[in-house]
Amino acid sequence: MTTTATMFTKPKPPNLEYPELYEFPAFFTRYHSSSSPQNTQPNDTTWAHQRSIWAAWVLSYCRAHKIWKLQLSDALETELFYNRNLNRRFKQRDAAELLEYMVTEGDVEWEGVGKATAIVYWRKPEEWANVIYEWIDSTGQKGSVLTLYEISEGDLTRNQEFHTIDPYVLRKALDFLVKRSLAQVFGANEEMGVKFF
Amino acid sequence: MPHPYCFHFIALQLLPKPHPTNSHIPVPSPVLNMRKGVGLGALTRNTQTSQQYASHGQLLQKSHIDELTTQLSVFQASLAQFSRTHAKDIRSNPAFRAEFARMCTAIGVDPLASSSNRGGSFWAEMLGTSVNDFYFELAVRVVEVCRRTRQENGGLIAIAEVRERIMRQDESIGGSNDVSEDDILRAVDALRPLSSGFAVIDLGRRQMIRSVPKELNTDQSTVLEAIQVLGFITHSMLRVNLGWDGARVQTVIDDLLSDSLVWLDDQADEKEYWAPSFFKKSG
Repeated sequence: MTTTATMFTKPKPPNLEYPELYEFPAFFTRYHSSSSPQNTQPNDTTWAHQRSIWAAWVLSYCRAHKIWKLQLSDALETELFYNRNLNRRFKQRDAAELLEYMVTEGDVEWEGVGKATAIVYWRKPEEWANVIYEWIDSTGQKGSVLTLYEISEGDLTRNQEFHTIDPYVLRKALDFLVKRSLAQVFGANEEMGVKFF
Repeated sequence: MPHPYCFHFIALQLLPKPHPTNSHIPVPSPVLNMRKGVGLGALTRNTQTSQQYASHGQLLQKSHIDELTTQLSVFQASLAQFSRTHAKDIRSNPAFRAEFARMCTAIGVDPLASSSNRGGSFWAEMLGTSVNDFYFELAVRVVEVCRRTRQENGGLIAIAEVRERIMRQDESIGGSNDVSEDDILRAVDALRPLSSGFAVIDLGRRQMIRSVPKELNTDQSTVLEAIQVLGFITHSMLRVNLGWDGARVQTVIDDLLSDSLVWLDDQADEKEYWAPSFFKKSG
């Protein structure tokens, strides 16, 4: 059930589009470790561009595989950061720098202090709030009470994009609805429920 | 169908060519005149004849000019008519467009000539806006593509790739304007009056658009050509094959790196340098 454990064996989802540069060997190089200053290349412009493509790639990869939490050390072995055909990989340090950048963009949030696992918002919590509320609205469930587990794992949501949604992301999304007085969350821990208005 | 005036014109040409001056008119020799006993009257008659010739000549010249003016205006009209009726073909069919552009060049018409400088080119006005607009709109899109990819390729992009990107963009919005590489070359040419720094350069076998106002020196071009052929280059490849010393190689590579023209790949045995501009084709 954990996303990271099954990541290796997952087949390529049909909606996953690789960036053109995925086949470009230099795409996997952040900079040279040589101490000589003129070797710290590619230059900043190149890196900025490279980084934005990497960020978009991480998001679409996680979206296609429905990965809510990315465990960095595991992810480094997946095709996300490792192109085995090319024998090129994005190094730990570079991937960490990338995720750090994505944190500043609001696409990623570190889980805990170790910076080992990142919550990837391939949709922002606010967007999730809208998606969930639209689903509630279109299925006539306003006024009814659902448990958080039902929303993420229930049979009813099997065809929804937010099926298997990470509890933490779900809470953040629901918080938006609560703030707009469209939902009320009650209960504690595993027994949490939500009522939509 | 020849214009009726054309026959008139040809018929006039068949007549003996008149001349306003009498230098070529056979003048009776004085000896002959003496024999015939013709006196002063002959002289007057001579003058009269030459005057008649002259006035007739002027008449012919005038009608010549009238002919030409008429023919020209007919030609203008039909060319304008042609570009109007075929505006759609000109826009949608790259082969037709290339032929049309070639025809215009052959008869000395520049469909892209600006109408604002040097008193305005009536050709451009005559051809209407279809041809002009096509290339100017294309030029705008070429600029867009160059600008969008500049971070990636340092402002050097193959014409073929520009074309591919424009076509792909068209497809995504449902349009199907066929654009040829020839069109893109012309469009870049159309940018020249703006002194925009866009230029087409030959690099090895390929034509590239350079969208940053920077000259490549010979060493840089050589290295880029090598990358084009081999996909990437390394220090030792350049040293061995070109016989350059280490410092020279380093300088070229550093320059290319700092212009974002090549990217570094440090995961091979030796550092490899790849150029995104040449990557797409091999992929």
